[in-house]
Amino acid sequence: MKSPAFVLWTLIAAPLLSGQVSHQRLLNAEQEPANWMTYSGSYRSWRYSPLDQLKPENVRRLGLKWVYQMKTTHIVETTPLVVDGVMYFSEPPSNAVALDVKTGSRFWEYRRKLPGKINVCCGQVNRGLAISGDRVYIGTVDAHLVSLDAKTGGVLWDVEVAEYRTGHSLTGAPLAVKDMIIAGISGGEYGIRGFLDAYDAATGKRRWRFWTIPGPGEPGNDTWEGDSWKTGGGPTWLTGSFDPLQNLIIWGTGNPSPDWNGDVRKGDNLYSDSAIALDADTGKLRWYFQFVPHDLHDWDATQVPVLVDEDWGGQRRKLVYWAHRNAFFYVLDRETGKFLLGKPFARQTWAERIDENGRPVRLPNAEPTAEGTLVWPGVQGGTNWYSPSYNPRTRLFYLSAWENVGLYRKGEAVYSPGNRYIGSVPQIDLPEDPGWGAVRALDPKTGEKVWDYKLHTKPWAGVLSTAGKLVFGGSDEGYIFALDAETGKELWKVNTGGNIRSSPITFLDGGKQVVAIAAGSAIFTFELRD
Amino acid sequence: MSLILLILATGFLAQTAEVRNPRTSPEDVAAGRKIFRSHCAPCHGLQGEGGRGASLAQGVFFHGNSDADLLRNISEGIPGTYMPGIFFSENQVWQVIAFIRSLNQQAKETLIPGEPAEGEKLFHGKGGCGRCHRVNGSGGRLGPDLSSIGSSRSAAHLRDAIVNPNGEILLPYWLVSVKARKGSYSGFRLSEDTYTIQILDVKEQLRSFSKQSLQELKIERVSLMQSYKTVFNDRELEDLVAFLSSLRLKARTQ
Repeated sequence: MKSPAFVLWTLIAAPLLSGQVSHQRLLNAEQEPANWMTYSGSYRSWRYSPLDQLKPENVRRLGLKWVYQMKTTHIVETTPLVVDGVMYFSEPPSNAVALDVKTGSRFWEYRRKLPGKINVCCGQVNRGLAISGDRVYIGTVDAHLVSLDAKTGGVLWDVEVAEYRTGHSLTGAPLAVKDMIIAGISGGEYGIRGFLDAYDAATGKRRWRFWTIPGPGEPGNDTWEGDSWKTGGGPTWLTGSFDPLQNLIIWGTGNPSPDWNGDVRKGDNLYSDSAIALDADTGKLRWYFQFVPHDLHDWDATQVPVLVDEDWGGQRRKLVYWAHRNAFFYVLDRETGKFLLGKPFARQTWAERIDENGRPVRLPNAEPTAEGTLVWPGVQGGTNWYSPSYNPRTRLFYLSAWENVGLYRKGEAVYSPGNRYIGSVPQIDLPEDPGWGAVRALDPKTGEKVWDYKLHTKPWAGVLSTAGKLVFGGSDEGYIFALDAETGKELWKVNTGGNIRSSPITFLDGGKQVVAIAAGSAIFTFELRD
Repeated sequence: MSLILLILATGFLAQTAEVRNPRTSPEDVAAGRKIFRSHCAPCHGLQGEGGRGASLAQGVFFHGNSDADLLRNISEGIPGTYMPGIFFSENQVWQVIAFIRSLNQQAKETLIPGEPAEGEKLFHGKGGCGRCHRVNGSGGRLGPDLSSIGSSRSAAHLRDAIVNPNGEILLPYWLVSVKARKGSYSGFRLSEDTYTIQILDVKEQLRSFSKQSLQELKIERVSLMQSYKTVFNDRELEDLVAFLSSLRLKARTQ
C-alpha cells in the first residue's frame, strides 16, 4: 500500500510529468511561471510574469540565447507558448512549429497547404496557438481550425469554421477553456457577419456560436438598417479573456462593415466595436459594452481585455481595463459591463468626452468625407491589437501607444462576396506627419499617464511586465528593450534587425529566466550572461 | 511531324496574342475606376501612383504588360508578393484593366512637346544637374538618382520639382545638421530610429550618430536644390522634362 504522501505527490506531479495541459493548469497558469501557456499568459490576460530573476540591477547583462529563423515572407505576429520545455508557435501564414527551449532545435513543424487565392485585409498573419491536453490548436487563413498532436505535429482534426472565399479567415490565437477551444474570426474588411465559436477540443464538433451581429428578431438587430446586418462585420480576431468565477468569456469585437461609409448601416450597429461577455458553456450573451456606436473610423475593440479585481469607489470590484483603439482608456464593471471610466490616453479629436453611460459625445467634423477629414487618432488608432500588460506590483497598466493622425475618406461601398467592403481609402501614414509612438504607463484608477518611453516610430509590438519590475517592449525599428516599470527608464536594448510586430513572453529554462519575442521572421530568446 | 508542331505552336501564339480586353468603353472605365478605388487604391494609390504597391500609372508592369498578364495577375494575385487576387467576375476585372489602361493613356498624352536630346544637353551643360544627380551610374549623389525617374513621376510632377524643389522632399533628402564632438556635419537623412540617425554628408561620406551623443541635431525639410525657374526658359524647361520623362525602367515579363 502506498503512503498518503506518495499518492499526493503523484497527483501533483502527474500532470507535470505527462506534459498534459489540463484546464486546472490553465486556471493556475500564473503559479507555473516556468511556462507560458496561453496567448496572454493567463486567463486574466495581464501578460505579466511572477518571475523576478531579471530586475533593474541585472537586466543589462541580458544576452542572446538562441534565434530560430522561420521560412516565411509574411509578417510575424505570433506569441509563442512554452510548456514543459517545449516552445510552440505559429509561423505565418498558417504553420506551426515545436522547439526545444534549451537550444532552439526543432522537434516538428506543421506546414499547411493553402489555396492560391486568400484575401485577408492586412497580411496572411497568425498571432499564435492554443494548447490543451496533449494537443495544440491553430486557426488558418483559409478559415479552418486544426488540432495537432503536441508530440508530432500530426493533424488530429481539421474543421472548416467558415467559407474562406467570402473573406473569412482565422488569424488570432484560439483560447482553450475547459474542454473547448474558443476561436474568433477575421474579415471585417470583407463584409462578413462576425461570430465567436466554441469547439469540442477532442472532436472538433462545434459547441456554440455567438453571432456578433444579431439576426432578425434578436435584440440589437434593430440597430442595423434593412439587411445591412448580413454584411455587418464585427469580427473577433484577437484572443479574449476568461473569468472562471463568473464562467464568462470576455472578448472584443471589431469594426462594422463597410468601415468608412456608414450610410448603408444606419444605427448603432451592435455588437460591433464592443466588449462582449458570454457564458462559457452556452455562448449566451451576459452583457456587452459598445465603445464606438456606429463607428466610421475602423476603431475595432480588438484589444486584450485585462481582468483585474481592485477597489473602486471604496468597494472591491471585478473590473476590466481596456485601452481602446479610439484613444480612450476604459474601466468597466466585469459583472455587468457598466461603464466606470473613459479617459483619453493619446491625442484624439473625435469626442468631447465619454458620458456617464459610456457613450462618446462626438465632436463635429470628425466623419469621413469625400475629400478627407483629418482626425486623431489615425486609422490604426491610439493603440491596436498588440498586448498591454498589468503589473500587480506597480499597479500600473502598460501599453504601446500611437500619437498619429489619419486622413479619413469616404467612398462608395458595394458588397460583392469575398471582396473588400470598406467604403473608402483612408490615408494611414501622412508623409508630412508620420506621428510617433511610446510605451506608456497609465494609472488605471484614473487613466492618467505616469510615464512615457518615447519612440521615433509607432510600435506594433506589445508589452510584457514582470515581478522583477521590468517592462519589455519592442519597436518597428527592430529594437527589443527593457524598461524600469516604475519610471520608464531604459535599462537594456538590442537591435534585432527586423520589425517587431508581436508581444514578448518570459519563462524558465533550466531554472533560468528567458525572454522571447518574434522579430523580423525569427524568434529571439535572451537570458542573463554569467 | 515538325509541321504539326509548327501548326500547334502558331496556334498557341495566335491564341495568347488574341486575348484582348473586351470591355473598354467609357462606361467600363468608369465601372473599373469604382472597383479600383475600393479594392486596389489602398496599396496602389487612388490614381495608380503607387504606395505599398507598385505604381501602375506609367504603363510599366513588372509581372507582364499584356492584357492577359494583367487579367491573370489581378484575378489570381502574384505569388510571392503581397498582391492578392480579387474575387470579381472576369468582366469586372476587364473593367479594372480598362481603368488602368486609361491611366497609362493619360500618362502618354501628357507627354510634353520638348526634345529629349536637347534636354539631355541642358541636363549636363547649363543646368549642371549631374553635379548632384546620377543617371545610369554617373553624376553626383546629393540628389535622387534619376535613371528611371520617368517611370515613377509624371511630366507635370517633374516640371514642378524643377521650378519648386521645396514642394515635395522625400525623407532621404531631408536636410540634417548635427553638432558632434568630432565636428559639425550636414547632409541627408538616410534613416532614423529612436536612438540613432544615419546621414550621407555633403562630401558624400556615410555617417551614423548616436542621438544621445550629439550636442545638436536639426532636421529641416528643405531642399538643397535651387529653383530653376529663372535659369531655364519655357522651351528649355520642356526639353529637360522630355529628357527626364524618357528615362525609363525596362519592363520585364515573367
